[in-house]
Formats: sequence, structure tokens, C-alpha cells
Amino acid sequence: MGILQVEKLHKSFGGLVAVHDFSMVVEKGEIVGLIGPNGAGKTTLFNMVACFYSPDSGRVVFDGRDMAGMRPYHVCALGIARTFQVTKPFVNNTVLENVMVGAFSRTRNAQEARSKASEVLELVEFDQYKDALGSELTTADHKRLELARALATHPKLLLLDETMAGLNPAEKLHLLTLLRRIRDRGMTLVVVEHDMKAVMTLCERIILMHRGEKLVEGTPQQVANNQQAIAAYLGEEYATA
Amino acid sequence: MSKPNATRVEEFKAGKGRRFSLGWWVVGVVGLLFLIIPFFVHDPYFLHIFVLVFLFAYLGTAWSLVSMAGQLSLGHAALMGIGGYTSTLLFMELGVTPWLGMWLGAILCGLVGVIIGYPAFRLRGPYFALTSIAFAEILRIYVENTEVGPLGIPLKAAMGLLVPLKGHAPWLFQFDSKIPYYYIAFLMMGAAVGLSFLINRSRSGFYLAAIRSDQDAAEALGINSTKYKLIAMAISCILTALGGTFYAQYFRYINPERAMGLSMSVEIALVGVVGGWQTVLGPTIGSLLLSPSGELVRAYFGGTYAGLHLFLYGLLLMVVILFLPNGLNDPLVRAFKRVEARLGEGNKVRKETSPPGSRKGDKP
Repeated sequence: MGILQVEKLHKSFGGLVAVHDFSMVVEKGEIVGLIGPNGAGKTTLFNMVACFYSPDSGRVVFDGRDMAGMRPYHVCALGIARTFQVTKPFVNNTVLENVMVGAFSRTRNAQEARSKASEVLELVEFDQYKDALGSELTTADHKRLELARALATHPKLLLLDETMAGLNPAEKLHLLTLLRRIRDRGMTLVVVEHDMKAVMTLCERIILMHRGEKLVEGTPQQVANNQQAIAAYLGEEYATA
Repeated sequence: MSKPNATRVEEFKAGKGRRFSLGWWVVGVVGLLFLIIPFFVHDPYFLHIFVLVFLFAYLGTAWSLVSMAGQLSLGHAALMGIGGYTSTLLFMELGVTPWLGMWLGAILCGLVGVIIGYPAFRLRGPYFALTSIAFAEILRIYVENTEVGPLGIPLKAAMGLLVPLKGHAPWLFQFDSKIPYYYIAFLMMGAAVGLSFLINRSRSGFYLAAIRSDQDAAEALGINSTKYKLIAMAISCILTALGGTFYAQYFRYINPERAMGLSMSVEIALVGVVGGWQTVLGPTIGSLLLSPSGELVRAYFGGTYAGLHLFLYGLLLMVVILFLPNGLNDPLVRAFKRVEARLGEGNKVRKETSPPGSRKGDKP
């Protein structure tokens, strides 16, 4: 019994099948990587787990609860937080206020939300920007802001959609350490990522999606040496990794 | 610089970072001025202009609560009309004092707001704005053409309702001088602005800001956007209905064309847009500018150039939208902050907390 069970999910948009018969189980405290070429259905899968889309068939069970018919805001209360591939900061608010919105999901009190948000900003080492407006930040900062905002909702499961994209090597390394620290606090992470080096070092298990289906699943080592994975996505250079 | 940095950080976390605020002083002084004006000025026309300023500041503030949820209402006159008609009809037919009747109108409007809002708020796009116009116009046309409504309610069609004159009767919301109306309108404005301020500082305020900024992100953070839009709408409708009763009692006359018409809806929205919709003090600033100028233009040029005030409103609206799309509030706040920075020492704290890298383009 994992914390998240995805059973035979299917979703199509018109004639395009985005996710087809996809199943996976995520155990508590795991870091699972979701990789695959563009259009493989990774973000669609995220959107179904976070109840932004409802699946055509199949079901998602989180923490023993069937999520059928739930709305995105219910999902947050249950303990799932997500970031967006295309970041969605509240541009007219400061960083602290952005994160406070997340913190308000666990408290009504503005003072508590403020101190909780400050804590999270310290954790992600972003507190020196707390007074900057969302519109004044760079893309890399927006990614970190979204992470902080998601963390402030105190989730059990964190869905990260391409948090590494647009970061320079130093920032990536920093984020990797941070994500491990977050996991060590008892959170479960599912990450969609294109940076193979980051995925290989961060994740304990990797699922390769291709055309809406699960193509390969295993440890980073297994996936890197899998012929199908190499053909579909990784390319020859990872065979020897 | 007397305190160590750690204390400053603690203070910031506790929200005590700002010790000096010019804005508060100005609001306080202006409020106090308004309170003592009737002691020095007895000219009824002058007081009348101030009553209009307060009334439209009140209505605009109520209206802005909906725009804080990112929704544009162009039918708020309908709610004013429902509030005014409810209290006036209860008074005329059953002898219920408007002090009581206004709350029945408010409850009715709260319900109406939720019923209109529920389907419209679930859609994205301009549907709420369109729905609000349609609702107000349908209601106006219906009342204008209905002599006796359902249950035998005498709506009196386009003629409107005359509030029966009772002389000086405070218990019946009627006074023979302008001064009580002046203070009632002032109190209503103060209460509405205060409520808007409290909402903005609370969780609901943060949630409304999040919803109008990005609804998807807001929902991902656990915000039921439809629910919060409906709460904002209901509060706004209740306040507007109370304003409708004040309007009826003050002018002692209410008719569908004025109280429910599109021009009233637009005037309410205009006050908010010019002053700064989605801000706490914006509508009050807008009303301070628009209500007296509109009234004076109407008084001096109304005979020769009827409708000149509408021309003036249109011109102002164009200027504001072109040069200050967020209304007059933002540049004023910025100017205040600049003066504050020079006067107080609170700015030193702020400078320390925003490093050079916090601006776009500073980072590689």
C-alpha cells in the first residue's frame, strides 16, 4: 500500500490520447522521477493526480482515499501540493505574501501564516527576497517561489513539474540538496524532470513515460541501461552511465 | 539602527516592521476634518455635496469588494434599487421603519447576489460582467412597466416611490436637516472602508488577491475560488442594499430609471475604477474627485449643457485608463512611501531587507 496509487488512468483530448492505461504506486518517503519526451503525458498525469483534470477512466487513490470527483482545492487539504511547469506566481504580491497564501491552508490566523511562511522561506533559503514583488523575480526565482508556496501548505506528497528547468548548474545542485532535505522531513516527492543528471542522482525510482504509457520502470541504473529507454528517450550516451 | 538585526527580523515576522505610516496619518486627519466640517459649514448645498461624496465612496467601496475577486460588476444599481424599494415599500405598506426594513433589503440582496454569482463565477471570462448588466436591465425594465407586482406589491412602474414625509422623525430615518444624513453617510463610508481593510488583511483578503492573480495557482493552494467570490459578492450586495435605503431616505424618492439604471451602475463602477479598483481606499479617493466635480458641473452647466458631467466622467475615465490603469490609489501610495522614506527611519529596515539581487535583471 503506497501513499499514492494510480490505477489504469486514461485521458484523451479529442482524438489525442494523452495518458493511456497508466498505473503506478508511490511509497511514503520515496522520491520518484517521471521522465519522458515532450508530449509523453507527464503533466497530464500530474493534472489528474491534482484533480485539475478528471480521468476518462481509472482512479487515483491518495492516502487510502479515492479522489474521484474531487476539486483541486480538496486535494490541497488532503496533503498534495504541486508546482506548475509554467510558473504561476501572484505577481502583484510580495514573495512573503505569495507563500502566506499557501500557509493559510493550515491556519486562519494571519500572524501564524506569516511566521510559517517565513520559516518555509528560510528552509528554501529564499528569505532575503521576501519583500520583492512576484513580478520583479527571474524565472529561476519563480520556480523557487512555487516550491516555497507548495511547501507552506504542509503537504504529504509534493508534485514538482520541471522545477529544474531554467536553473544554472549551481542552482540545480542547490535545489537537489534542498529536495533531499525536504524528503528527509517525511515528504514524498514525485518529480517531472528533463535534466537526466539531476533525476539520476535525486530519484530512487524512475518511470519513463512514452506516448501516454509506462515504458520502463526501475532504479536509475536499470532505466539507464534499458534498451527501450535508450531508444525512446535517453539516447546512447546514458548506456554507459 | 539602535536595535540588533535579529530583533528586527523577529519584528518583521510579527508584522511590526512599519512603525511610521504617513498614509494612516492622512486618513486620520482627513477623517477628523470630515467629522468637524458640519460645525463650521451650514450651507445645505455644501453638505449635500459631501453626502454624495460619502454615499458614492460607500457604494464604490462595496462594489470594489467584488472586483477584489477579479470580477467586474456593471449592475450594482440593481442591488441599490432592491434595497431602496424593499425598505420603502415596507415603510409605505406596513409602516415598518426603514431602520429595520434596510436589513430585510440587505438579506434579500445577499441572496440575489449569490443566485446571480453562482452560475457566473464558475465560468472564466467576462460572463459575470455581462450577467450583472443583463440582470440590472431586466429588473429596471420590469419595475418600470409593472404597476402592481406579485402579491399585490404596488411597484408603481416608472413613476417610482415617494417616501411619505413625516417631518423630523429620527426613528423613521427622516431628518429635517442635512447634518444627520451627513453623519450617517460618513459612518457608512467609514464602516465600509474599515470592513474592506479588515477583509484585505485577513485570510480572505489574501485568498481574493490570489484568485484575481491566478485562479489555477490559487486552487492548487487549497482555495475554493467560487466560494470566496460568492462571499465577496454577498458582502458587497448587502452593503449596496443598505446604501439603497440611504439613497431612498435621503432623496425621499426612488425610481427605477435612476436607482436601477445603467448610468447609476456605471457611476458606482467609475468611482472605483478611477480611484483604484481592488484597493481599500481607491473608491473613496475616486468619489472625492468625481462626486463633487460631477455635481458642480451639473449645477452650473446642467441648464445649458445637459449631460456635460457624463462627458467629464468619460474624459476622466479615458485619462485614468491610459495613464493610471490601476487608478489614483497606486501613485498616491507610492508618493506617500517616498515622503515616508524621507521622514521616517522605517525605510532603513526596508532597504536592508531588499538586496540588490531582488530586481529583475540583476541575476545572470
